[in-house]
Amino acid sequence: MGESDATRRGFLNWFLGTSVGALCVSVFYPVARYISPPEIPEAETARVTAGHEEDLRPGEAKIFRFGHTPGILLRTPEGNHRAFSATCTHLNCTVQFRGDLKQIWCACHNGFYDTSGQVVSGPPPRPLEEYAVNVTGGEIIVSRK
Amino acid sequence: MSLERTGADGGGGLMGWLEERLGLSNLVALGRKKQVPLHRHTIWYYFGGMSAFLFGIQVATGILLLLYYRPSAEEAFESVQFLMTRVPFGWLVRSIHSWSANLLIFVLFVHMFSVFFMRAYRKPRELTWVTGVFLLFLMLGFGFSGYLLPWNMLAFFATQVGTEVAGALPFIGDFALRFLRGGTQVTGGTLTRFYGMHVAVLPAITTAVLGLHLYLVQKHGMSVPQGVAPRGHHAFFPNFLLRDLIGWCVALACLATLAAVFPWELGEKADPFAPAPAGIRPEWYFVWMFQVLKILPGHVAGIEGELIGILAITLAAIFWLMVPFIDRDPAGAGESRSRRATLFTVMGWLAIAVLCALTAKEYLS
Amino acid sequence: MSRGAARAWPLALSAAAAWLALAAGSASPDLLAQSKEPPAPERRFGPFESSCFTCHAEMDDSEQSPAVLAKQDVHFAAGLSCHDCHGGNPRGGFDGDPEAAHDTLFPQGAFRGKPDRLAAPLFCARCHADATYMKRFDPQARVDQHSEYVTSVHGRRNAAGDANVATCVDCHGMHGILAVKDPRAPVYALNVAATCARCHSNQELMTPYGRRGDPHADYKKSVHAHALYEMGDLSAPTCNDCHGSHGAAPPGVDTIANVCGSCHGREATLFRDAEMSRNMNLEACIQCAVCHSNHAIERPTIEMLGTHPGSTCVGCHLEGDAGWKAAGSMRESLERIGVRLGEARDLLDRAERAGVEVGPDRFALQEGDDNLIEARVLVHGFDLGRFNETADKGLAAAEAGIAAGQRAFAELRFRRVGLGLSLVVIAAVIIALAITIRRIEA
Repeated sequence: MGESDATRRGFLNWFLGTSVGALCVSVFYPVARYISPPEIPEAETARVTAGHEEDLRPGEAKIFRFGHTPGILLRTPEGNHRAFSATCTHLNCTVQFRGDLKQIWCACHNGFYDTSGQVVSGPPPRPLEEYAVNVTGGEIIVSRK
Repeated sequence: MSLERTGADGGGGLMGWLEERLGLSNLVALGRKKQVPLHRHTIWYYFGGMSAFLFGIQVATGILLLLYYRPSAEEAFESVQFLMTRVPFGWLVRSIHSWSANLLIFVLFVHMFSVFFMRAYRKPRELTWVTGVFLLFLMLGFGFSGYLLPWNMLAFFATQVGTEVAGALPFIGDFALRFLRGGTQVTGGTLTRFYGMHVAVLPAITTAVLGLHLYLVQKHGMSVPQGVAPRGHHAFFPNFLLRDLIGWCVALACLATLAAVFPWELGEKADPFAPAPAGIRPEWYFVWMFQVLKILPGHVAGIEGELIGILAITLAAIFWLMVPFIDRDPAGAGESRSRRATLFTVMGWLAIAVLCALTAKEYLS
Repeated sequence: MSRGAARAWPLALSAAAAWLALAAGSASPDLLAQSKEPPAPERRFGPFESSCFTCHAEMDDSEQSPAVLAKQDVHFAAGLSCHDCHGGNPRGGFDGDPEAAHDTLFPQGAFRGKPDRLAAPLFCARCHADATYMKRFDPQARVDQHSEYVTSVHGRRNAAGDANVATCVDCHGMHGILAVKDPRAPVYALNVAATCARCHSNQELMTPYGRRGDPHADYKKSVHAHALYEMGDLSAPTCNDCHGSHGAAPPGVDTIANVCGSCHGREATLFRDAEMSRNMNLEACIQCAVCHSNHAIERPTIEMLGTHPGSTCVGCHLEGDAGWKAAGSMRESLERIGVRLGEARDLLDRAERAGVEVGPDRFALQEGDDNLIEARVLVHGFDLGRFNETADKGLAAAEAGIAAGQRAFAELRFRRVGLGLSLVVIAAVIIALAITIRRIEA
C-alpha cells in the first residue's frame, strides 16, 4: 500500500512538474519569439528596401511597394537610381516606364512624365512625388523626402 | 567560499548561503503564519489576488509592447499595426494586454464591492480601503491613458470627449483640460503626454500605493464579515495560494481564448480633421459617467447640466472614499447588524444597480 | 419776311461759315504738317488718358459701358486705348468737340466708329492676324485665329452674310476683354460651355439651321463635365477642346476617333487598328460616338457591354453573330474578374482585422485592378484573343489574392490550434494543482 502511495505521489509530482513546465514553455516561447527582431525592423511607411543594386540595368525600371502604394524605381542611362510614386497625379492610375520613349507613361489618359518626374504632356496636373534613394551595401533604400 | 551548510537556521548548500545574506526564511515564516478564515464568503478573498495577477500580466505585456510601440502621432498607429502583423506573436501580446485591462477593471469592481459588502473597511482597515479606492482611480487612469495610445479614430474621439468633460470642472476646468491635452486640442502632444503617464507616472504612483495596500493587508490579516463565524482556517501558504494559482490559471485560459478568438481590433488611423464617427463612446467602464452627463438636461436651475453631473460624480467618489469614516460602528461593535449597516448594504446594491442600468442603457440604445 | 425765307437765312449763313472754316483749315500750315509726319507728343500718355476714354468715361456710367469695362480689358493693360481699334484722334476733342476726336481723316488711323456685326472678325484680325504687330506684345502669340475662323461653320456663314452666327465679340466680349487664363473670362475653361450655350441651347436660334437638341444640357450630364466642374480637373474637355476654339466645326464622322484619341490615345489606336472600324458604315456609325454618344458621354460601365437588352452591343449586333458572341464573352470575363477581386479584397480585409499581415498580398491585388482597367480598354480593339490575354492575367491576380486570403485564414486556424494546445496545458496544470491541494489537505 505504501509503495503504490509513493508511486502515486511520484507520478503526481512528475505530473505537476511537467504541466507547470509545459505552461512555462507555452508562455516563454511566444515571448522569446516576440523579443527576437522580426524580419523587418520597422513599419514600411517611410522607408523601404526596393531591391538590389544590380536588379536593374541602366534604362530599365520596375514597380515596387512603398507602404500601401506603388512606387517606380528607375535606373538612368548614367547608372543612377531614381524613385517616384507610381500613382499618376491625374486620376491615380499606375504609371509605367516606356523604355522606347525614355519617359514615364500613364496609359489611362496618355499622360507623360520625364525621368525627373516632371509632366511633359497630357492631363496630369502635378509632377510625380519623388522619393530619396540611397544605395548601401548593394541594397537600394527608398525613403520619403 | 564554500557552499556547505553554514547557519543553524538555513537549509543546505545554496539555500543556506542565500539565507545568511537575504534572511528569506523570515518571510517564509511570515507567509506560513498567515491564516485565511473559511466561511461561506471566503470565495471573495480570491479577487484581490486575481486583481494583482491581472495587473502583473498588464505590466509584463506592457513592457513587451514597449519594445515596438512608438509614441508619436505619425508612427503610433503604424507601430501597432506592425506589431500586430509583422512581429511574431505580437497579435497575442497586444490582444492579451487589451483584454486583460478590461478583465482587470471588472475584477477590481468585484473585489471592491465584495469588500464593501463584507464591511472589510471597518477599523483598523480604513486605510486599506482608502488605498484600494485610490488604486481603482489609478487603474481607471491607466485605462483612459492607454486607450489613446493606438491613435485610432475611436480612441482619438473618445479622448476628445473625455478631456472635454474635464474642461467643465469649475475653477480648474481650463487648466485641467490643457494639462491633460498638453494644449487646447488633442494632438500628438496629448499622445506623448498620455504615454508618459501610462508607462512612468501612473506605474510609479501605483507601485507606492499598491505596496502600501499589500502591506496593510498582510499586517491586518483577512477580515471576517459581521455575524459570520468561520468554520476553520487555511494556511495561506500553500493551501490558499494553490487555490489562488488555480484561479489565475483559469484567468490565463480566459485571456488566451479571448485573445485568439476575439482579437482586439485596430480600426483606422486617427484623422483629427475628419468628422467624428457616429457612436463615439468611451470604454465600458466609463460609460456610466458618460450616460450621467447625457441624461442630464442642458441647464438645471441656471447651472449647466454637465457641471452638475461632474460635481455629482465627484461627490459620489469622495463619499465612496470616505465610507470607512462614515460607516463607523458605535463603540463595542456587536454581532447584531446596526441599522446603518443595513443602510449601507442597500446603498451598495443601489450603486451596483445604477451602474449596471446606466451602462446597459447606453449599449441598448 | 415769309416763313421759307426765314428758314433759309440762317442756313445759308452756316454754310458759308463752314465753307470758310474748311478753306481756312485746309490752308493752315499746321494741319498740312500733321498730315505728313507724326506729331511730336507733348508728353507720354497712358491708355486711360486718351480723349476717347476721358470723354466716354464722363458720359456713360452704366456697367456695360466701354469706359467702365476698359478698366479690366487686356488691351488697355497692354497700353492700347480705344483709338487703337476704333481709330480717331486720341488727343483731339479734349475741348468737348467730338468731331476732333472722331476724325475720319486722321492720318494715324481714321475713325471707324462702331463696326458692323458682320465686320467684327476682320476688325479684330487687323491686329490679331499681324504677326509682326502681335510679337511686340507676346512673342509666342498665335496669329492664325482668323484664318481658322474662316474655315469654321461660323466663319463661312459670316462670310455669306449671316449676322446671327458667332463672331469674335460674341465669345470674347467687345470691351472689357479678359485673357483666356482669367477665370472671369467667358472663354475660361469653366465658362466655355455656358458661352457656347448662349446660342446653341437657344432653340429659336438653332432651329432655322436644322439643329435640334441641347448639346449643353447633354454635356452637363457627361463624365467630362463632372471631371471639369466637380473634380476641378481643368484638363477635362469642354466644347472647344473637341470642336476647336476658332475653327469650330463638328469633327467629321470618320475623324471622331482622332478627336477623342487626343486624350484617349490607347482606345483610339486600338479602335483604328481594329478590323471592325474599317468595316463600319460611315453613314450609320459615327465611331466613338455611336457607343459613347457625342455630348452626353456617361461613365462607361460594364452594363454597356454584353448581350442583354439595353446593352450597347445589341444595338448593332444580331444574336449569334461573331460580335454578339465576343461581347458576351468579354462581359462574362470582366464580371468574373471584378467579382473575384472583390472577394479577394474582402478575405484580406477580414484577415487583417483579425491581425494577420496581408499588406504585400493586398498590394499584389493592385495588379489585378490594373489588368481589369487594361481589359476594359482592350474592348475597343474588338479582338477577343488579345482581350483574353489580359483578362486572364487579371483573373490570375484575383485568384492569387484569394489564395493569399485563405492562407491568412489558415494562419488564424493555426492560432486556434495553438490556443487549444495551451488550454490543454493550462487544464493539466489546474488538475495537477487540484490534486496537490487534495493531497496536502488529506
